[in-house]
Amino acid sequence: MNMNVRIPQPDRCIACATCVAVCPVAQNCPDFPGPRMMGPARQRFRLMGMGEDEASHYCANCKNCDIACPGDVPVSAFIMRAKAEICKKNFPKLRDWILAHGEVLAHCLRFIPAVFKNFGMTFAPARLLLDAIGIARKASLPNFAPQAFRARLARLAQPNLSRAVVFFPGCFVDTYEPESGLDIVAVLNRAGYKVIVPGTTDDSGAFVCCGLPMVANGFWQDARDNARRNLKTLAAWAAKGMPILTACPSCALMIGKDYAEYFPALIAPGQSSSLVDVCDFLIGCVERGELALPAAPQKVETVFYHAPCHSRALGIGLPGLDLLREIPGIQAEYADSGCCGISGSYGFKKDKYPIAMRVGAPLFEAMRQSGATLCASECGTCRVQMRHGGGKQTVHPVSVLRRYLG
Amino acid sequence: MQQTRIVVIGGGATGIGILRDLSMRGVPAVLLEQGGLANGTSSRFHGLLHSGARYAASDLHAACECIEENTILRRIGRHCVEEFEGLFVLTREDDPAYVAPWLAACARAGIITEEISVEEARAREPALAPDIRQVFRVPDAGVDGFRLVWHNAESARRYGGEVRTYHKVTGIESVNGKITGLTVCNTLNRESYPLACEYIVNAAGPWSGEIARLAGQRVDITPDRGTLLAFNHRFTSHIVNRLHKSADGDIFVPHGSITILGTTSAQAKNPADTTPTPEEVLRLLSLGEKLFPDVWEYRILRVFAGNRPLYTPPDHDAGRGASRNFVIVDHEQDGLAGFASIFGGKLTTYRLMAEKMTDLVCAKLGVATPCRTAGIPLAAQPARATLERAGRRLPAHGARLVAERLGDQFPKIVNAPEQDSGADLLCECEMVTRAEVELVAADPTTHFLHDIRFRTRLGMGTCQGTCCSLRAVGVLSKSGVAFAADPRTALRTFLQERWRGLRPVLWGAQAQKCEFNRALYGATLNLNGADDEAD
Repeated sequence: MNMNVRIPQPDRCIACATCVAVCPVAQNCPDFPGPRMMGPARQRFRLMGMGEDEASHYCANCKNCDIACPGDVPVSAFIMRAKAEICKKNFPKLRDWILAHGEVLAHCLRFIPAVFKNFGMTFAPARLLLDAIGIARKASLPNFAPQAFRARLARLAQPNLSRAVVFFPGCFVDTYEPESGLDIVAVLNRAGYKVIVPGTTDDSGAFVCCGLPMVANGFWQDARDNARRNLKTLAAWAAKGMPILTACPSCALMIGKDYAEYFPALIAPGQSSSLVDVCDFLIGCVERGELALPAAPQKVETVFYHAPCHSRALGIGLPGLDLLREIPGIQAEYADSGCCGISGSYGFKKDKYPIAMRVGAPLFEAMRQSGATLCASECGTCRVQMRHGGGKQTVHPVSVLRRYLG
Repeated sequence: MQQTRIVVIGGGATGIGILRDLSMRGVPAVLLEQGGLANGTSSRFHGLLHSGARYAASDLHAACECIEENTILRRIGRHCVEEFEGLFVLTREDDPAYVAPWLAACARAGIITEEISVEEARAREPALAPDIRQVFRVPDAGVDGFRLVWHNAESARRYGGEVRTYHKVTGIESVNGKITGLTVCNTLNRESYPLACEYIVNAAGPWSGEIARLAGQRVDITPDRGTLLAFNHRFTSHIVNRLHKSADGDIFVPHGSITILGTTSAQAKNPADTTPTPEEVLRLLSLGEKLFPDVWEYRILRVFAGNRPLYTPPDHDAGRGASRNFVIVDHEQDGLAGFASIFGGKLTTYRLMAEKMTDLVCAKLGVATPCRTAGIPLAAQPARATLERAGRRLPAHGARLVAERLGDQFPKIVNAPEQDSGADLLCECEMVTRAEVELVAADPTTHFLHDIRFRTRLGMGTCQGTCCSLRAVGVLSKSGVAFAADPRTALRTFLQERWRGLRPVLWGAQAQKCEFNRALYGATLNLNGADDEAD
């Protein structure tokens, strides 16, 4: 850790315990002492030289504590630093390395056809093996796409447009759900924007994983390395005056907010690392008349919308829901059922899977109660969890829009 | 009629040290304390175990005593002492000419000093002011006054000594110039009773003038008020002193999870005058910022004050100029045999004071047993197996904290039945478990929530009792511990006592905390404190 960074202080916490009341893990796992105890309260003992509490691994980094805190205490950041300290002393499990470094893993496996990789994730004996390293047998792991998003984009002929945006795809879209990315490209093209994804043809100047899975699993230094690379790339594009968009709320949160919290020394004075939410951007396109929406169809379709915790933590409202409500013929139903439980890779872990399912239970129930057959959410792993727990088709809100644009 | 050989008046460090010394020498003794143990000066100081460096230039004798006792206490009171180091820092405003004579005086007193570079000092303590000029290491340490008194009391009891808390002396009797006994009032049930004895030791600290008056004697003592600030977290892991002639607001002491800034010096109206003012707080902050410029930003937990029992004979200075040496007055010289007073001094030298006082008493009684307090630890170190067992039950790394707090009682917690280990936290700010609270509550000297606070630090952390006091009262009501007050009064008194130290520091996060606390207790229990506001 950078020694020049001031040690975060616990002084702003007034012990109101609001964070404990909203913490989905604390509500569903009695072994987790809760965000207040693990964050600001324990910080006072850390400053006494007392070691870390291993129970910090229960924290899913969903950020509901940060959202709820009336005192603006960086509660989850305390806990993420604690995980990093623990991992410095005891190197994390292989399982955690794999889940933290999905991008590296995908890169290493890129020449293995997806059908084999996916067979490895569904084939029973292979799942036993994954189970042995700590990945829950029952968890529904996302399938590797036959071709990564960037590879498909490279072969896509975008129309010749005068305006352009830069798009940060994030690991999930790139590796597992290129269709969502292509839907976004198609809609942005329709609005008159060419989409640039750096590193599409080769890896030079490419964005890398935002680092959030690394932080959540304790790989602080790896996350810092990625942050440095991304910030450099972002600064270069920002200098060209180009809007930089992302469709993943977790990437947006990590890059836009957490980089400054975790790695303040990496941020140049006056530099903003904020990314623009793609739904927010498209609402602007509609308002500016750049994107014409189709006329209302005869039949109104209900779409069930879940706001990812990291979307809410961004503090920009609910642009995904707003976008759905812009579409004529769509009735968007807001779930308002809290966290889905998955928190990136958290719900895939064998010891966390039951917690994640308990956390998500109210959302799954709301999905089942809803008359909607189609569900939407911006976060990739939220979608995985919603399909797994709620049993309904779930897509990115922009994919819903693309379908309506035809 | 009840009788004993010696009565010690005052349950602070000095009195309890004398009780332990007498008991170890086999002399039957009873200690009487008007309130709870350590509720006076012994818990109202900065928590510094002096190396003596602070006194070296002004009082070589006091400095020599300090370094000797410092060494002894590190050995016998490991549970109570935190082995920090002290730094003496020459700031922009301090006179560099003070340094050379100070170094020479430290050397004469046998205090080891070592200069370190400003860069190294700031690497160790990044919050130190960047414009400091010189830094020296000294063997200062931290000491927990509450814990020191308790561990002495428990040790004394093991040797047969008796401690009576909430027992106030209301009369001292003598016949033909010789002490015969005293009248004691049990303040809990307001019953008075006579207690016969051969000898009375007046170790009542700032109250010793009043005790002497009961015996028709006079002691030259002035209660001198020192105000201190407690900050919410530890921003220094060294004791940091300003390198100059002792003055106000020039010392920072890490103390458990908090940091203390001290001290002021002003004559107190009376021994119980310990209510601090916002002006004192602002003054301390404006002095403290010379060492730690961010001191205004740190959250203040509370402010508290204690009264030094300074010895001030008519022709001597009061306040800072008064001697920090201790004084024993044998009132036999003034015509009353069987009565002696002890006052002055410092917590660091409490054991030495007790030894000298006990030597005098034993000489009078013809007891020849030598003092052994310097050689025998106050509490045994817990066995490794006990610590490991505790580690599995208590919150992570909490075992060390609890072991140090409870001393010899620690194994009792660990040996509680598995099905009800009591490991649930009542106080998250200071990591106090239910088992610990129940254990301390069952002690015969415990009658109020603040007695539990002294031993466990319950209510002394960030929330200042907001969360834990209600939980503790609930647990105690359920476990049927007989308390001096009904649960609602116990809660109200405790919260009101916390409020006294909060009121002068009501800004920033602490003001928010108080407002939260007020709303919480007002809305749920209709406790708003209004009834307790005298002014």
